[in-house]
Amino acid sequence: MQLTPANRTSSLRGRLGAAACLLLTAGLPSMAQGESGATTQFDATALLYGERNRANVAEPTARIARRFADGQSLSAQFGFDVITGASPSGASPSGVAQTTTSASGTVTTIPAGQIPLNSFKDSRYAADLEWQKPFLRSFLSTIGGHVSREKDYQSLGANGKLSVDLLQRRTTLTVGGGVNRDRVFPVGGIPVGLSDGSTPAGSSALSKDVSTVMLGLSQVVTRRWLVGLNATRTFERGYLSEPYKVLSVLDGTTGLPSGQWMEKRPSTRERWSVLASSVYHLTDDVLSLSYRYYRDDWRVRSHTCDARYRRELGGDRYLEPHLRYYSQSAASFFRTGLLDGAPLPEFATADYRLGGLKSVTVGATYGFRISDRPGEWTVRAEYIGQFGNGHPGATVGIQRQFDLFPTVSIGSLLVGYSVEF
Amino acid sequence: MSATRQAARRPDATAASLEPIEDYFVGRFVAMASPCELLVDTDDRASAAALLRTAEREARRIEHKFSRYRPGNLVHRINHSGGRPVRVDKETALLLDYAATCHEVSDGMFDITSGALRRVWKFDGGDRVPSQAQVQEALQHVGWHRVTWADSTLTLPAAMEIDLGGVGKEYAVDHTAVLLAGQTRDAFLVNFGGDLFASGARRGGRHWGVGLDDPERTGEAVLYRIEFARGGLATSGDARRFIRHEGRRLGHILNPKTGWPVKDAPRSVTVLDRTCLQAGSLSTIAYLQGPGAREFLEQQGVEFRIV
Amino acid sequence: MTRPLRRFLHAALLLILAGLASGCAATAVRPWDRDLLAQKKMRLTPSPMVSAVDDHIYFSKEGSTGGMDVVGGGCGCN
Repeated sequence: MQLTPANRTSSLRGRLGAAACLLLTAGLPSMAQGESGATTQFDATALLYGERNRANVAEPTARIARRFADGQSLSAQFGFDVITGASPSGASPSGVAQTTTSASGTVTTIPAGQIPLNSFKDSRYAADLEWQKPFLRSFLSTIGGHVSREKDYQSLGANGKLSVDLLQRRTTLTVGGGVNRDRVFPVGGIPVGLSDGSTPAGSSALSKDVSTVMLGLSQVVTRRWLVGLNATRTFERGYLSEPYKVLSVLDGTTGLPSGQWMEKRPSTRERWSVLASSVYHLTDDVLSLSYRYYRDDWRVRSHTCDARYRRELGGDRYLEPHLRYYSQSAASFFRTGLLDGAPLPEFATADYRLGGLKSVTVGATYGFRISDRPGEWTVRAEYIGQFGNGHPGATVGIQRQFDLFPTVSIGSLLVGYSVEF
Repeated sequence: MSATRQAARRPDATAASLEPIEDYFVGRFVAMASPCELLVDTDDRASAAALLRTAEREARRIEHKFSRYRPGNLVHRINHSGGRPVRVDKETALLLDYAATCHEVSDGMFDITSGALRRVWKFDGGDRVPSQAQVQEALQHVGWHRVTWADSTLTLPAAMEIDLGGVGKEYAVDHTAVLLAGQTRDAFLVNFGGDLFASGARRGGRHWGVGLDDPERTGEAVLYRIEFARGGLATSGDARRFIRHEGRRLGHILNPKTGWPVKDAPRSVTVLDRTCLQAGSLSTIAYLQGPGAREFLEQQGVEFRIV
Repeated sequence: MTRPLRRFLHAALLLILAGLASGCAATAVRPWDRDLLAQKKMRLTPSPMVSAVDDHIYFSKEGSTGGMDVVGGGCGCN
């Protein structure tokens, strides 16, 4: 039997609806909490990462968080990573085998035609602390601190955020900021930029200050659809160059490298990024899309597109394929080498990560629970490929024959565990 | 297959029970002088039990808070305040705001102060009817327009009383649903004595089935079924409380302006809307329109059934 | 960036902005409609730890930063 079909909404019904809405929103527990009472959450991840012929990383992290009955929460996170292998030094390939000595004294021989690499081995420790406190029913404040340390780099940071729920909790506005005080103390001291390295280092350590402000908006559009918009501005000041990266001095005719000069980057950098994201719940599955636009005053511009589809497999298991596309345009002072005899530019870098490049990430996460055991597990395998123009137009002489941007192939495996008790 | 019956069963005084039926769980308890049910679409008994505890706790909390009969509680104090102002808490204030909105949109037909008319009307199936003088006297103590309600303070003139029973039960259904929605993603149906709310389709996209009894014949087989996935459902009607007068049935819902039962009212009005509160208010306001109930509900654009 | 990709991005951005704009309509979502949104997988950042690991990877391999959160800490990897 059918109920008489509905046609249109009347304003009487609308008024009742609005009044009912007010009544039912009052005292609504915040979305993050389902039940009252203190809970503890433990999360751990372990990353194994390897670039073909380049660097390898192992990175375990663990986090423990306690949420109290009044909604406050305190969390501590510890991370450790070990990186070994090599990365391009910025020098150009040569027609003959080259020998390079890295800052730590390691001597390496690069075959002819290959990009010279710096090899390294380093470990990094990091610790983060965060405290959250909800107040006045719609506000959430967060304060955090960070410290990390590796052989030649140290970072100290503090950050804070304030979120407010508006319009019956359909809209959340967030404003946040952070400051970091980093210190760089490379082996051999801070090299003088755009010099041949023979001048003794000016100082053994220099600092770098970073400040960030962020404005975020998240909006519930329908019962199934949440969208977000986020804008961030970062300002860096201090020593922003890479102390181990160089540029080759190339002969103007033959293109053969005859020496190496230290790179030099500006001492300030202003970065902007805007991120738009969407999460949509289908019958059981979830589709997440995001797009980020980035630009800075070094003339780097980038676009990042990210898509994930979480397919529920039943029995608390899911498979989530992931696709990410990234493209970036080169910094204004990026070049593949310095021409012998030409006037020195003010800034120069051959670090391929500041040049034009595209990255594609393809991967999938498998999530599951072990029956009768608490906690959720995730296993993620991803491939990242980085591509760039190996034969840019401005190259000279023999450099035209070399692939200046061999494809970077990266594989990673991430295992995660999460439990609440 | 029928998932629940909207008609009242004889309430029994035992504690809450939880039993599996087909592929879901049904929890039952008695609160607000009605049989209450919680249906949860899950295989996990522990989860269903936890939700049942929440539902029962919330039903009893609201019953105790808004009951007229418990000395010392808020409504009792208001009804015995002798014309002095009483300050109310946030939840009560919003509920009174809701009742005030219902009063306004219904042109005064929906009125929580109309309970005073019960002093002269006894709906026991008999044929005793009060005199016009008695009704006029009772009407002196009826009318939300006589009440001062502002700044979370209610001033009820002496000899007037408020009754949050109807809207309180519907609020209990909706508020329980809000609490349960924060605790589970399984579909559930809250049914407090025939006022109900369903949170979504069951597994496999199946809808909840609600059986409505024939208001004439209690205890008989279900008259018709309504199937839906999400929303509130409530019925206003004269099913068991009525008077026979001059050969007609007079339902127990009284017109607060005339003091008499609604003339030629439908037997029962069932409405389906976004929430139980809205369904209940619309069904009551529709019922109070008497013969105009059908046209009224057609204008509102809701699904309904009139018997 | 290729033309079809640029068009796709414009469409996606418009869709997201339209979502933001329509969400301001008064009758969009009621508080009791939040059952789906309350799940962890429906957050904009469902797993902050994994996002932090990814941020670290992409910060080391690319020239951009910025995203959902205020940056926690730096490293000597770029």
